[in-house]
Amino acid sequence: MDDGTDILFDLLHFEIVNWTDRAHSEEKDKDKKDEDLSNLEYIGFSTGYRLIERLTKEMPRFKDELDTMKFICTDFWSAVYKKQIDNLKTNHNGVYVLQDNNFRFLSKMSNGKQYLEAAPKYVAFTCGIIRGSLSNLNIHCVVKAEVQSLPSCKFHIQIQRT
Amino acid sequence: MRSSVSYILSTNTSEPNMSHPDYDQISHDHAALLILIKHIGSQLKPKIFTKFYDRIIKLNDVKITDSSGQVRTIFVRYIKEHPVENNDWGDFQTHRRLIGLISIGKYDSQVELNEVCRVHESLKVKYNSTLYDSRCILFGPLKEIDSPVDRSSGSEESDTKQECNIEKFVSPSNFKTRALYYDEVAPCADLENQIVEFINALFWVLESKRLERSREKLERVSLLFAPFEKKDFIGLDMESRQNKKRCTGRMTKHLGDLCLQAGLIAESLQYYTNAVEILKSVNDWLWLGGAYEGLSAASALVLYPNLQRNESFHRIGSLPEGSPKKAALETISVTTVSKKSISNLLAPDEISKRYREAIIHYSKYQNAGIVETEASFKAARIAVEQNHALQAASFLQNVVYINLTLSEQEKIQRFETLAHIYMQIGFHRKAAFCLRLAATRYVSPQNPNPNWSKCYLLMLQSLSGHKLLLDPIEMLEADQGWPTLQIQILQDLIIAAKRAGYSALATRHMTFLLQTMGPYLNTEQKELAIQLQSLSVQCEGSPVPLVLESGIVVPPANLTDIPLCTSFVLKDLKPHLRPRTIDKEKKDTGPFLFTPIHFGSLDRNKPKTDSKMDFLWVENEVSEITVKLVNPLPFEFKVSNMRLLTSGVVFESVPETVILAPDMAATVSLSGWARESGELEITGYSTHALGVKSNCRLKYMKNQFPAYYKVNVIPSLPILEVATSLPQSASFSNFHDDSIVTSASLSLYHGESTQCTITLKNTSQIPIEMLEVSINTILEASLQNEIFQVDQEEVSLILPLLPEQSASFTVKLYGAANFLALNSAVSPSIPFELNSGGFNSLTTSLPGTSSFSRVNSSIRSSHSGQSSLVGGLTSFVQSATSSSSIEAQLKIRYSGGPGFGSQHCRISTVFFVVDLIPSIHVTNWDVLPAEKNDQFYLVLDVENLTTQEMELQYAECKRMIIEGQESCRVPVPVERCPLSKLSDFYEEPSQSKKLAEINRICSEHISNLVKLNWILNATDSCGIASVKGITLNSRMLDIVRMSPLEWEVKINGDIFGTEEDLVCEAGDCMELQMSVANSLETSLKDLTLAIQFYQDYDNGTLNYRMDTRLAISGSTKKLLSLLEPKNMANHRCNVVFFSPGIYKVDIQCYTPDNNATTSLVSAGHVWRFTPPISIQVK
Amino acid sequence: MAVCAAIVGKDNSPKYFCCINPDEELSYQYKVLSSLDIIEERLNPANKNASESKELFLGHLYSLETCKLYGYVTNTKIKLIIVVNAMNLTLKDNDIRSMFQKIHSEYADMVSNPFYIPGEPITSKLFDSTIKGIITGTV
Repeated sequence: MDDGTDILFDLLHFEIVNWTDRAHSEEKDKDKKDEDLSNLEYIGFSTGYRLIERLTKEMPRFKDELDTMKFICTDFWSAVYKKQIDNLKTNHNGVYVLQDNNFRFLSKMSNGKQYLEAAPKYVAFTCGIIRGSLSNLNIHCVVKAEVQSLPSCKFHIQIQRT
Repeated sequence: MRSSVSYILSTNTSEPNMSHPDYDQISHDHAALLILIKHIGSQLKPKIFTKFYDRIIKLNDVKITDSSGQVRTIFVRYIKEHPVENNDWGDFQTHRRLIGLISIGKYDSQVELNEVCRVHESLKVKYNSTLYDSRCILFGPLKEIDSPVDRSSGSEESDTKQECNIEKFVSPSNFKTRALYYDEVAPCADLENQIVEFINALFWVLESKRLERSREKLERVSLLFAPFEKKDFIGLDMESRQNKKRCTGRMTKHLGDLCLQAGLIAESLQYYTNAVEILKSVNDWLWLGGAYEGLSAASALVLYPNLQRNESFHRIGSLPEGSPKKAALETISVTTVSKKSISNLLAPDEISKRYREAIIHYSKYQNAGIVETEASFKAARIAVEQNHALQAASFLQNVVYINLTLSEQEKIQRFETLAHIYMQIGFHRKAAFCLRLAATRYVSPQNPNPNWSKCYLLMLQSLSGHKLLLDPIEMLEADQGWPTLQIQILQDLIIAAKRAGYSALATRHMTFLLQTMGPYLNTEQKELAIQLQSLSVQCEGSPVPLVLESGIVVPPANLTDIPLCTSFVLKDLKPHLRPRTIDKEKKDTGPFLFTPIHFGSLDRNKPKTDSKMDFLWVENEVSEITVKLVNPLPFEFKVSNMRLLTSGVVFESVPETVILAPDMAATVSLSGWARESGELEITGYSTHALGVKSNCRLKYMKNQFPAYYKVNVIPSLPILEVATSLPQSASFSNFHDDSIVTSASLSLYHGESTQCTITLKNTSQIPIEMLEVSINTILEASLQNEIFQVDQEEVSLILPLLPEQSASFTVKLYGAANFLALNSAVSPSIPFELNSGGFNSLTTSLPGTSSFSRVNSSIRSSHSGQSSLVGGLTSFVQSATSSSSIEAQLKIRYSGGPGFGSQHCRISTVFFVVDLIPSIHVTNWDVLPAEKNDQFYLVLDVENLTTQEMELQYAECKRMIIEGQESCRVPVPVERCPLSKLSDFYEEPSQSKKLAEINRICSEHISNLVKLNWILNATDSCGIASVKGITLNSRMLDIVRMSPLEWEVKINGDIFGTEEDLVCEAGDCMELQMSVANSLETSLKDLTLAIQFYQDYDNGTLNYRMDTRLAISGSTKKLLSLLEPKNMANHRCNVVFFSPGIYKVDIQCYTPDNNATTSLVSAGHVWRFTPPISIQVK
Repeated sequence: MAVCAAIVGKDNSPKYFCCINPDEELSYQYKVLSSLDIIEERLNPANKNASESKELFLGHLYSLETCKLYGYVTNTKIKLIIVVNAMNLTLKDNDIRSMFQKIHSEYADMVSNPFYIPGEPITSKLFDSTIKGIITGTV
C-alpha cells in the first residue's frame, strides 16, 4: 500500500543528505567529514526529540531502560522505517546494539559493498533520531552506526550515566 | 481519610476541649513517663537551666528490675511546659498525664529560697491530680554552713551527700519536696543518679497503680471518660450489657496504656488487642481509635526502637520506598522475647493501616480534633521512619483538614511541624508552602501579637523550596523554579524584612530580586527599581554578606546588569607611550625548539574569548577601560563611584559617575593607575546605583564576558617630549606607525641641503638612559641615507637625559634627485658617424619644455633601471623635472629607569614631509674630446626648472646664468678616466656585463668630478647637482677613458701635438711617422693600423675620395699580428698634397670584425688618434 | 469543568499555565507547585507501590479544601496537572483522564510546531485557547 508518502520520506531524506553534503563542500576549509555529518545528526536529533512525544502518546509508562529500547526496536522503528529491528543485543550495562538487516535508507542503494563509503551519510540522520528520542525519554546516550555490507546496518547505543 | 460522618457523634461544641496540641509527639511517647522540668525563680540564668535540662533529658530510658527480677526499659519524656488541661485526657491515654516534676531554681538568700520553694509547691498543687512525685534542684550560694536539711517525705539521706560547700538555708516548713542542692558551677556528678532514682520512684508508683488496676474485676470497673464524654453518659444506664462491655473495653485499653508505660510491651499488645475486639463490638469509636493507636505505638516501639523526635534526617530519594531507613532493626534489649514471638505485634504496613483507622474514628468526634491531629503526626513520623513518603504525605494532608479552634501560635506550630516532616520526606515544595502559611500567620490580622521578625525568618526558610537560593551567583546555575511565584515570594520577603525593621535585608532582597528575576520582570522592573531606591534610602546596599542571628548568611547581591554592560574594552596606551621590547640579540636556542601541541581540548567548542591583552600597561601611568552601559530602566538614574575591580598588582582606580538616560547607551571611561608591575587582572567594576553598591564581576554579567581580562604591567618608563625646528606639516599622511608625536615639513630644491634641530625634553621623573634615533622611509637605504643624515655621535652625547632636562640633535637633509633625463640616456639618436658634427644630435633629441607637461608620463621609462637612484620607488626621485614629496619617520627609541631594566622602551616618531622641488635638469649629454689628451668635455644640456634666474657654476671659474625655465649647454672639462681604474677588465674576456661595469665605473668617475653648483639669486637657495647615474655608450666610453693604445705621431720628424696647426705647401712631401704602444697588461692581437685622409666640408659631408688630391707613398694599412704589452709598433708613410685645402688625417687602429676572441677590445673596435690631424695645404 | 491546567517541564519549571479565573492564578500556581512533590514521589522508580501502574494518568494527587488536583506524566516526563473545584462532583476520573489525553495530544502537536523549542515556555495563543476549551469542556 505504497501511496507515495513512504517514498516521499526517503526522497526528502536523500535530498537533505545531498544538501548538507553540498553545503559542506562549499566551505572547503573545514575538510572534516564529521563536520557535515554532525549537521545531519543534529537534524535527526531535533526530529527524534519532537517525534517521540507523539509516538509515546498512547504508550504505557516504560518500566525501565530495556523496556524503552524494546519500544524503539518495535513501535518506533515501525513508525519510522515500516519494519522492526531484526536483532537487539545488550550487555545489560548500558550498551545496546540494534541491527536492521534491511535498513530503509540503504535498501534501495546496493546489495553488498558498492557505495559502502557513502553509507555513513545515510545513517547519520537515523543516529540523530535515536539519540534525540532517547534524550527526550531521559536516556542520554551516544549512538554510532556500523555498516559492513549494505543494506544491513547496526546501531550501537552507549548510555551515558551521570 | 477523614470520616464522612464527622461530628455526628459529638455535636456539642461547648464541651471541654483539649486546647493545647502537642505536635512534637511521637508514637514512642505512649510508653513514656511524662516529666515536667520547670525553671523556677528569677535567679537562675536561662543558660544554666538549659545546661542542666540538656543533661537530664539524656536520661530518656532507664532500666529497672522489677519485683519478679525482670528488667524493664522505662522511657521518659521531659517537657518544659504542660497545660494542666492536657491531664484531662489522662484516662483516655495515660501517657498524657504529667506524673513527675523537676523544678530547677537558684537562691542567694533565705528569702529567695523560700520563694523558690513556694513556687515549687504551687506547681505541685497545680498538677496535683496526676503527679506522683517531684524533685527540686537548688543552687545555693557558696558558703559552708552547717544547717539542717529539711527532709521532706522522710526518705533517705541521699540529699545530704551533696557537695557541702553550698550554703543551705532552712527551707520553709511547707516545702515537702526532696531538694537536691548543687553548686551550679560544680560537676554535680551524682545528678544523673538522683534523676534515675527519681524515675525509679515514679516507676514504682506507676507499677503499683497498674497492678491495682489489673487486679480489679473487669466486670466491676467504672467507666473511663474522655473529657468531653462526661455529659453524654449522665443518666445512662451503666448496667446495660452494652455499657458494661464499654467499661470493660475502655479499662482493657487503659491497662494496655499502663503496661506500655511500665515497660511491658507484650502485655500491652495483648490488652490492646483484646480492647479492640471489645470496643468494636460496642461501636465505641473513640476508644477503639485509642486502642488501635496503642497497638500501633507498642508495635512501633518494637519495630523502630530508634525512632526519634525531630531528627534532621532527609530522605535519600533513591532509597526504595518502604525500606526502613535504619538498616538493621534492633530489638529492644529489654524484651528478652524476640520480636517474632511477641504475639499481636503488628507488621509494619499494618501500623499505618491501624493509624488510619484510628484517625478515621477520631475524626468522628469534633472534640477529639487534637487527638486526631497528634495521631496524624505520629503516623506520619512512623511513615517517615518506614520511608513511605506518600503515606506520610497523606497523613500530613489530613492534618490540614482537621478543624480546630487554635490560637495563632498553635496554628503556626502546626504548619512548622508539617513543614518539618515534609522536609524529611523530601517534599520541599510542600514544606515551603507550609512555612509560608506559618509565616503569614505570624502577621495575620487575627494574631494579637504580630511578629514580623519571625514571619521574615520563616519566609527566608521557605525560599529553598521555591528554588530560590540566597546567593545570586548560585541562582545562575540553579534549577529553574517558578518565576511568577518566586517574584511574589521575594516581594513578600522584602515586605517582611521591611516591617521587621531589617532595612539592610530588605535592600539586599530587593537587589536580589532585580538581579536574578530580571528576565521575568516586565513592567514590574521599573516599579521594583523605584522601590529599591526608596529602600536603599533606609539602608544602603553594599556587597558584604549579612549574617542573621540564627547564623544564616545572606550573601551579597550585586546589580550586575543594572546598568547593563554591553562592551568592556581595555585600552592600549597612546601609541607613543606604548612600551616596546628592546630587541635583544637572539640567543641561539639550538635546533630543538619546544612547540607545545594543543590537542583537541574539550573547550574547543567554546568561543575562545581572548582575555589576555597583547599590549602592556605601565606602572604609574593612566590606564583606561571603556565600558558601554545601557540603562534598562525607563527612567534616568545615576551610577556613581564606578571603579574597576582588579586582582593581581595594586591598582588605584579613579571613581567615575555617569547619569544614564532611560533606555540609552552611554560610554564610560574607567581609568586608574597600576602601582606595581606584574600581571593585572580586571575582573569587573563596582557601581553605586539605585542606592546599592555592587561589585559587578564580568563573569556574572548577562553578556558573556570572559571572567577577567589580563594585562601585563611593566615598570615605569620615562616620557619624552619632542619638538623640531621646522614647521609642522599641515596634514599627516597615511603612514602606518601612529607613534607620531610631532611633524616637520620643508621644501628642498633638488640638490639643496638644510638642517633640522630636534629638541627632546624629559617630562617624567625618570632619567633617560637609552636613546636611539633612526630614520624610516620606504625609500631604498642608499637614497634614504642621502636625504637624511643623523649624527649618531651627537645623539649618544645626549645621554643621560635627566628629568625635566632638554637636549637636541640635528638632522641633515639633502634634496637628492636624479638630475639626468632618463629618456635621453644613451640616446639612440646620437649618430655613430665618425664625422659626427658636434652637438647636432643633441639638439634634435632635446625634449625641451615639453617634459613639464608630461610629468607623470615620465614613468614610462622608469623600468630602465639605469639609475641607481631609481630604486623601488621610482615615483619619488625618478625625474628631476617633477616635484615629489617624501615622507619619513624619525624614530626616537628611548628608555630608562626600571622599565629599561625590564627591556622596555618607548618610541616617539617625528614625521617628516620633504617636498623636493626640481632645480636643474640635465636633459641630454655627450662627451667630446678635449684639447688635452687627458681630458674630455662633458657637454650637458642643463635646464633650469625653476622660475627664477639661476647661476650655474659648472666648473672652476666657469659660471653661467640661466633664466627660469630656460636651458643651456655647458661643456664641463673632465679628467679622463685613468686606465688603472679599468685595468681589471682588459684582462678578462669581454662580456656584456663587464661592459656595464666599465660603464658604471666611468659613470662614477664622471659624477665624482662633476659638481654643478647652482644658486638661485632671488632666494639665496643653493645646491649641488650631480650627474650621478650618467650612462655612456661605447663611443663615449672611448673618449671618457684613457686609450689603451698610446699614440705618438711624428710629422716630418717632429712630434705632433694636438693643438698644433699643420700648414704645408702643395707638392711638399710630408712624412707621417706613427707609433702605437700597448699600455695594457695584456697583448693585443690582429690589430690593423690604418691611415685615411679626407676632407670635411663642414656641411655634414665628408669626402674620402682623395685620389686626385694627394698621393701616399707607403702603405696606409699595416697589420700588427701581435702587440705585446709595453711594446710599440711603428709605421711610416709619406704624403704629397696636390692641391691646397684643408685635409684631415684619421689614424686608427682596429681589430678585425670576425675576431671575437679579444677582450674588451672587442671585435670591430676602433681606436682613433683624436682629434684627427688637420692639415692646411696652401 | 476544570479551573486550571498546567504543563510542567522535565526540570519542574512551568511551561504553560492557564487559569479560568486569572485572579486566582497565583494561588493555583502555589497549589500546582506543591503537587509536584507528590508527582515526583509517584514517579520515583524505587517506589514499588506507585510504579506498578503503567498508566500515564496518575489520578488524584491531593485535595485541598477548595480544589482537587490531578496529575498526568508523559513518557517524556512532561507533567500535566489539572485542578478541579472540590465542589465539582460531576467530573469523574474518566473525564479527567480524557481531558489529559486531549491536552497531551495538543502538547505533542505543539512540539511539532517549528516555532516551539521544546523546554521553553509555551506562548502560542492558539494553544492557549485550545487548552482553555479542553478544560472548560467546550472542545
